Amino acid sequence: MRLFDANLTLDNSLVAENGNRYYLLNEGMKGFIKEGFLCAGTYLGETRGGRFMPSFMFLTMIAQTARNKTYVDEKTAWLFICGRDIFRRGITKMTGATGRNNCTLVMNKFGECLGFGRVVADLNQKAETMVVTNIVDIGDFLRRERQKPWSYVAREDHASGLTKRLRK
Amino acid sequence: MSGKEFFLHRYEKLGWVYKEVKLEQAIRINTINAQQVCVIERLRQRGVKLEKTTYLPQGYWVRSKFSVGATAEYLLGLYSIQETAAQIPATLFSELSGRKVLDACAAPGGKTVQLADLMMNDGVIVALDVRKQRLTALTNQLERCRVRNTVVYGLDARRVSQLDRKFDCILLDMPCSGNFAADKAWFRRRTMADVERNAKLQREVLAEATRVLSEEGEIVYSTCSLEPEENELNIDWAVRNLKLEVEKVACYGQEALTKVFGKRLDSFVSGARRIWPEKTQGFFVCKLRRREHA
Repeated sequence: MRLFDANLTLDNSLVAENGNRYYLLNEGMKGFIKEGFLCAGTYLGETRGGRFMPSFMFLTMIAQTARNKTYVDEKTAWLFICGRDIFRRGITKMTGATGRNNCTLVMNKFGECLGFGRVVADLNQKAETMVVTNIVDIGDFLRRERQKPWSYVAREDHASGLTKRLRK
Repeated sequence: MSGKEFFLHRYEKLGWVYKEVKLEQAIRINTINAQQVCVIERLRQRGVKLEKTTYLPQGYWVRSKFSVGATAEYLLGLYSIQETAAQIPATLFSELSGRKVLDACAAPGGKTVQLADLMMNDGVIVALDVRKQRLTALTNQLERCRVRNTVVYGLDARRVSQLDRKFDCILLDMPCSGNFAADKAWFRRRTMADVERNAKLQREVLAEATRVLSEEGEIVYSTCSLEPEENELNIDWAVRNLKLEVEKVACYGQEALTKVFGKRLDSFVSGARRIWPEKTQGFFVCKLRRREHA
């Protein structure tokens, strides 16, 4: 949550763990959690390589209080959902920490969270400059049906690789 | 015992004359995630033509030049693609709010999401299925539609009593033989052996569901099969053997059959609904509860 400068308090007694995955239950669900459950309640995310990767539901939850947000126009919103990075010209507003390497939630014009990315350049750039690299987006739901789930870690690496190339 | 002629002859004996059916795609608005009018307006702005279904509160037929399964609104879980007849079963429970609900054959999860929507994400749904691929589809669907009150198990519905819990509402959307309106190759693929195998499986699931039904609980039984062995005959069997009674429902469709191929069934079976394919696919729904003083 620090990544997005957000505030969210969870009741630990309602958090269930299944392998490396975390779920937030409601009170009534507690009695229905038995060994072997696949998923339950609100899927919060999973840990991989010691890092917590938030789910889309978790991103939606923290979007209410997060300060680091990038609002994009309709065309850019669709391109982002298709896995593309965000260029300066598609950004309508940025809030919170906008410096390089900060994580930012990507929001459409309706204020709905489409995923998140990492800031790779500031806003005072030319229209064709890439400002936010895509780390994860809701288009993942379609991609999951076609192939193995995208690895967050791989996409982070991909994003940081792009950043390195840009720096060169 | 198979082939188009064989099955059409059966349908004629049941009082229905075959006609070609072209199904229209339908969606259901997930009201937990969005206001109905907003979603409709957003889709209309994208050029999607929508027509409200007369018998479903959140159902719309859609006509679109692009896939409505690939819009931002769909990926945000604002609506689900769900055939109109398939939207009926979840609406038949008397009260869902705060209840303990079992969705015994849940994947790919369209009805589970609908139940969560009707429950406003309150109470508990236990969703079961057995095949790994279908369970993946189910969990993805729950996450996309931001369902928060469901526990998923990879468990055969015939073993649900292992969970050692009772349920107020049980949805049995049974694995079935399907129907020709939803599957162009249906007449080529299906035989009476399939129908009989499915009917047996359905009776086993129904019997197990009765064991985990609370005293005042309700079961909604549904199939998308047109074959009476999977529908009226199974309900007649349940009434005679499981101490259940049929509660009359008044949804879209017509009264279920009480005379099947010369066999007279319990008159209460007529309280179920049979939907012959027309604007929807073929479907069958029935609401059951424990017989009083059973």
